[in-house]
Amino acid sequence: MRLEHVAFRYRRRAPWVLKDVSLTLTPGQVTEVTGRNGAGKSTLLRLLAGLRAPCRGDITGRPARIGYAPERFPADQPFTAGDYLDHMAAVRGLPATAWRAWADRLGLGRLLQVRLPDLSKGSAQKVGLVQALTAHPGLLVLDEPFAGLDPATRSALPPLLGELARAGSTVVVSDHQRCLEHLPALHRVHVAGGTAVSVETAAPSGAMAVLEVAVAAGEAEALAAELRARGHPVHLRQPAGPRPFGSGENTG
Amino acid sequence: MTPSDVPARRRRGPALIALARFQLAGYLRSLRFMQPLIPVLLIVVLVLKEWSNDPRHVDAATGSLGDAAVLTFLIGAWAARSLLDTQPDEQRALSITAAGHPVLSAAAGLLAAYTVALCLGLLLLAAPLLQCLSVGVPPTPMLAGVGLTALVAFSGTALGALTQRAIIPSPGYALPALLCGVTTALLLSLGPLAPLSVPMTGWLRAAHDGPSAFVQAFPGLALHLILWNTALTAVLFFLTRRPR
Repeated sequence: MRLEHVAFRYRRRAPWVLKDVSLTLTPGQVTEVTGRNGAGKSTLLRLLAGLRAPCRGDITGRPARIGYAPERFPADQPFTAGDYLDHMAAVRGLPATAWRAWADRLGLGRLLQVRLPDLSKGSAQKVGLVQALTAHPGLLVLDEPFAGLDPATRSALPPLLGELARAGSTVVVSDHQRCLEHLPALHRVHVAGGTAVSVETAAPSGAMAVLEVAVAAGEAEALAAELRARGHPVHLRQPAGPRPFGSGENTG
Repeated sequence: MTPSDVPARRRRGPALIALARFQLAGYLRSLRFMQPLIPVLLIVVLVLKEWSNDPRHVDAATGSLGDAAVLTFLIGAWAARSLLDTQPDEQRALSITAAGHPVLSAAAGLLAAYTVALCLGLLLLAAPLLQCLSVGVPPTPMLAGVGLTALVAFSGTALGALTQRAIIPSPGYALPALLCGVTTALLLSLGPLAPLSVPMTGWLRAAHDGPSAFVQAFPGLALHLILWNTALTAVLFFLTRRPR
């Protein structure tokens, strides 16, 4: 799948959200999309999923079957989780049982009789993930899938995505929480300044050095995200006590 | 099952029907159907109150078939917009990815909305049909009344669908747009620009002129409505071909 000089804005005369994005996404690859809030990650994901059409440029080679899970699953619907997944499977032309294996893997099984509006944020997120995975999609687009998930599901999801990629899917995930960083051959795309660029992953081999940086607490997350987007492993921690700089504050 | 195991091309018919069923189920379970159903039931009660078995009232009974079609147009437009706006915006995105194309998703919405409008239209038509039976109107004008209601229900549905949130996101503009659309259609049908609108005055006049005039005018009215419905559906699909 290829994006060539893609530009997008929501309305005429509105500022460009993405100005000149050229990317290649290959089947069998998991792509992690990073960037600050408002950088245009969700817009890029919607363009990839075909939910927005680019104002300029082209998107070619999009697979026919697409699974998409939005950042916030629309839980305000008068269905139980099970009924909802039955309907979505039927729309995809799949049998009603097609989603059950995915629901079990994500630990949704005991919530199937619960009405969608009564689900917690994390459980509703799981329903969104299951409907996206049920398609066995050629392109799987997940917008912040780890937000609100319990630790067990958060750790179960990356291997599952790796499995899908090995089966030939193109997987694209936006993730602030760096839950995918242990996936082998992870492709990173950083969105900033209206464009999205592939970031080379830091090579694990060779000599490594540890750089300790002290920053104001409010800026720590942003700096950490920036360094991660450049492919560096970052460990963020709170200062242990009132120690002078050099003995370790927020380190990266 | 891997992505390569699943056939890339799905048949569109079953997806269309499954998505229409999903939207219909959401609309019924949300109880939003009560909004148009209550006025329809009130109108039916009012019609039954004016019930007449007098055989001299054949023209009036046939005329009520035309009156029911006018109400079907108005209530169909309202119900269509209500049904199509039941689905949250993000769900519309999920439905589009599941169906595989935005126009397929729009067609499913139209089918679901038409089903509701047709049911409401037939409910509105039930009392006039019974009245026609009781005063001895022949079956052909009654069949023409059913056909007219079926076509007009689609006209209302298509007009309501054009003001759904997927096309006009702001409710501040969408509701006035629906009212303007309905009013314009009514006003245009009164003047020389009638061919551009639904032939409302045409079917009212024909129905009130009696059974034979109504049957004679029906093919022309049906053709006019089919053209109008086709044009509106084409505009709807053009506007929904790119999700917004």
